[in-house]
Amino acid sequence: MTTEAARPGDDPHRLLSNARQLARRVRKDQRATWFPLLVFAALTFLAIPVRRYSGHHLTCRSLPEGPVCVAYTNADLVYWPIALVLAYVAIATFYIRRSRARGVGTRTRPYAIAGVVIAAALSAVAFWEFRHPPLGPGPFNVQGLTYRLASPGTAIGLALLVLVWAERNRALLVLAVAYLAVVLVPITFGRQQVDPPWYDLPAVSQGTVLLLGAIAFALAQRPLRSPSP
Amino acid sequence: MTGHPANGLDDTVHQRVRLGILTITHEAGQVEFGYLRSNLEVTAGNLSQHLGVLEGAGLVTIEKGYAGRRARTWISLTKAGHTALANEIAQLKLLISQVETTEQGSGPAAAGDG
Repeated sequence: MTTEAARPGDDPHRLLSNARQLARRVRKDQRATWFPLLVFAALTFLAIPVRRYSGHHLTCRSLPEGPVCVAYTNADLVYWPIALVLAYVAIATFYIRRSRARGVGTRTRPYAIAGVVIAAALSAVAFWEFRHPPLGPGPFNVQGLTYRLASPGTAIGLALLVLVWAERNRALLVLAVAYLAVVLVPITFGRQQVDPPWYDLPAVSQGTVLLLGAIAFALAQRPLRSPSP
Repeated sequence: MTGHPANGLDDTVHQRVRLGILTITHEAGQVEFGYLRSNLEVTAGNLSQHLGVLEGAGLVTIEKGYAGRRARTWISLTKAGHTALANEIAQLKLLISQVETTEQGSGPAAAGDG
């Protein structure tokens, strides 16, 4: 097919390894993992006062053993759905602006779509739970797990898994799995989560994991942010 | 066309800089001229020539615009560009695997019984 002499640069091994190296470099340049982690950490910490000082809704069901009531805060029904959608808009905008400034595009559409779907699903589940409260408050029973699975923490964990896929970032996968473990395994030290000092413990632990992750990724990705010549 | 994978290689794509352009653009979706130049370590003139070849073959589209006052040139892959890159990578892998199979097949004979 070709009459040109083969050049060392056109050697199949070298061409393929060069292509792989370039693809890896582009992926590294597209990454800004610290930003979504920082946004989610900020939302988690901000949810603590919102949860404490915003209004509550009480929903009760009559059972043979007596009435069972569950309190839902505005944080569950109002704050999180709005905050998650705004977070995805902020993250997508940040990625687009940053990548345009660097001269390399980024695929934010799958992340934004997944984010909106997760936020909508969370809102639907929160509303359904409000209308059909769990029968037992214990954190270890099946319904307690269902409640945690439908929590904002799980929504953030799922969003991180989508980011793992979008960024093809193995380190973030480790963090996302650790974070989901913190969300799904209740940290109560044997106490009821509703007791005042322990009430905010899940949010504090989840926010801390996200914040430490944001700091770690910011430090790890800092050398890659070389100044433009 | 014979069955040898080298015959499936496209001259337009089978070149270090042009394959690099296609790889980076495929990964990024859209890429700026300066990013390509610095990552491929070529001069602006050389890169323009290679982009001209790829654009002429209908593998990339070149869009000029402004970011503030700064002129910027953005490169994207066409559908044919994505296909050409996938074909090239597949052919390269096939070529390498055939060479390795041949080397393994002739290896013990060449090595003798030690």
